[in-house]
Amino acid sequence: MMHTVGISDLYISDKKEDILVTYSLGSCIGVTVFDPVVHVGALIHCMLPLSKMYPDKSNSNPCMFVDTGVTKMLQAVYDLGAKRDRLIVKVAGGASLLDKKRMFRIGERNYSVTRKILWKNNLLIAAEDVGGSKSRTVILNMNTGKTTIKNKGQEVEL
Amino acid sequence: MSLRETITGQLGSISAMPVVVGKLRQLLSNPDVEFRKLSEVLKYDPGMTTNILRLANSAYFGFRTQVNTVTQAISRLGLKRMSELVMTAAIGPIMQRPLKGYEVPAGGLWRHSIAVAIATEHLAGQLNIPVPEDAFTAGLLHDIGKMVLGTFIEVDTVPIMKLVEEKKIPFDEAEREILGIDHAEVGSLLLKKWNLPESLVNVTRLHHAPHLCEENSVVLNLVHIADSISLMSGIGTGQDGLAYNISKEATDIIPINIKIIETCAVYTMQRVSELSELFETN
Repeated sequence: MMHTVGISDLYISDKKEDILVTYSLGSCIGVTVFDPVVHVGALIHCMLPLSKMYPDKSNSNPCMFVDTGVTKMLQAVYDLGAKRDRLIVKVAGGASLLDKKRMFRIGERNYSVTRKILWKNNLLIAAEDVGGSKSRTVILNMNTGKTTIKNKGQEVEL
Repeated sequence: MSLRETITGQLGSISAMPVVVGKLRQLLSNPDVEFRKLSEVLKYDPGMTTNILRLANSAYFGFRTQVNTVTQAISRLGLKRMSELVMTAAIGPIMQRPLKGYEVPAGGLWRHSIAVAIATEHLAGQLNIPVPEDAFTAGLLHDIGKMVLGTFIEVDTVPIMKLVEEKKIPFDEAEREILGIDHAEVGSLLLKKWNLPESLVNVTRLHHAPHLCEENSVVLNLVHIADSISLMSGIGTGQDGLAYNISKEATDIIPINIKIIETCAVYTMQRVSELSELFETN
C-alpha cells in the first residue's frame, strides 16, 4: 500500500507491501531508514532544523524539526525490532534558493543537523542526494528496502 | 510566429475572470456599500455565493457560529477581507488543475498560492508593517502565469530545466531564453486582460525580480520573500524547484532574519490547509 508522508510527517512500517513516498522536498530534509533483517523501515519529512526555539510546536509535532523528528523515528524503528548496526540510512533534500546573501540557509542547516543527530546515534549515511536547487520526491520500497529519488518522471536508486 | 507570440496570443482564449468579481470588488471598495446591490450581483452567480460562504466558514477564520449569508460574512470579516474572499472564491476552482510541464499535481499550485498569500500577511504582521492593500490577493495571484503555461499551453519544460542545470541560471531566466517570455510576465498580461489593478499586475510581473520595480513596493518585496519561504517549505513546489534568485535588494529593505523566516514557515504550514482544501474536487 502507498503511504504519502506529508511535510512534517513520519511513517513507520513493518509491512513488505508498503511503499512510502514524500513529494517535493524543497529545503526540507527526507530521511529513510531500513533494517533488512526484520523488514522495518521509516520515512520522515522534516521542515526545520532545530526545535528549541519552538517548544510548543515540537511537542505537538516533533516531526516538523530534524532534531526531534529523526530522534523519534529512530526510537520508533528500534521499538519494532530494528537494530542500529543493521540500519541503512539515506538522506535527501536540503535544497536552497539562489541566495547570494545566504540568509535563507534552511536547507544547509537541515542537512548539517541531520548529520549531527545521526552521528550522535552512531549511524552513518549510506547514500544521499542533497543540496543544489532541485525539488526531490523520495520513495522507500519496503519490499526491496530500496530508496529512490523521482525526478522528471524517472526513478533513480539512491 | 515566435513562441512568445503563440503564448501571448492564447491568453485571449483563457476563460475570463468571472464578471461578477470585477463588479463585487468595485462595490466592496466603497465603504458605504449597499448590501442590496451586492445581493443583486451575487444572485446571478450562486456558485460564487457558495464558495464565499465556504471560505467564510473555514477553520482559517474560526468563527464559532455559522456564517449563513454574504451580508453576515461582510459584517464579521469587513469589506477588505470580503474583497479578498471574492477573488479567492473565483480563482480557487480554476487553479486546482495540475500543471503538466511543471510536474505539479492537482491542487499543488493552489496550495502554493494560498501559502504565499498567508505568508505575505504574516510577514507584515511579524515586522509590524501595516498590511498593504491587496497583500493577500497579490500573494494569491503571483504565479497565475504558471497556470497559463502549465495547464492551457502545456509547455515542454524539459529544455528549460536542461538550461537551468547547464548554465546554472534561475528558472525564469531559462523560460525567457527558451519561450521568449517567463511565467511572471505571462501572469501579468493575463491580470491586465482581466482588468485587475496595476498594483496586482506589477507584483505578478516582478515577483522574481523586485529590484526592477521603479518605486519601492512593500507588497512586492513581501510577496517575493513569502514566495521564497513557500518554495523552501516545498508547498506545491514543482519541477522548477528552488531555482530562483532571492533578491538582495528586497531583503535589504525588508528587515527579515532567520527567526522570522522560520516562524513564518511554521505558521504558513499550519494554516495553509484550512483554506487550500476547501475547493478540492476529489
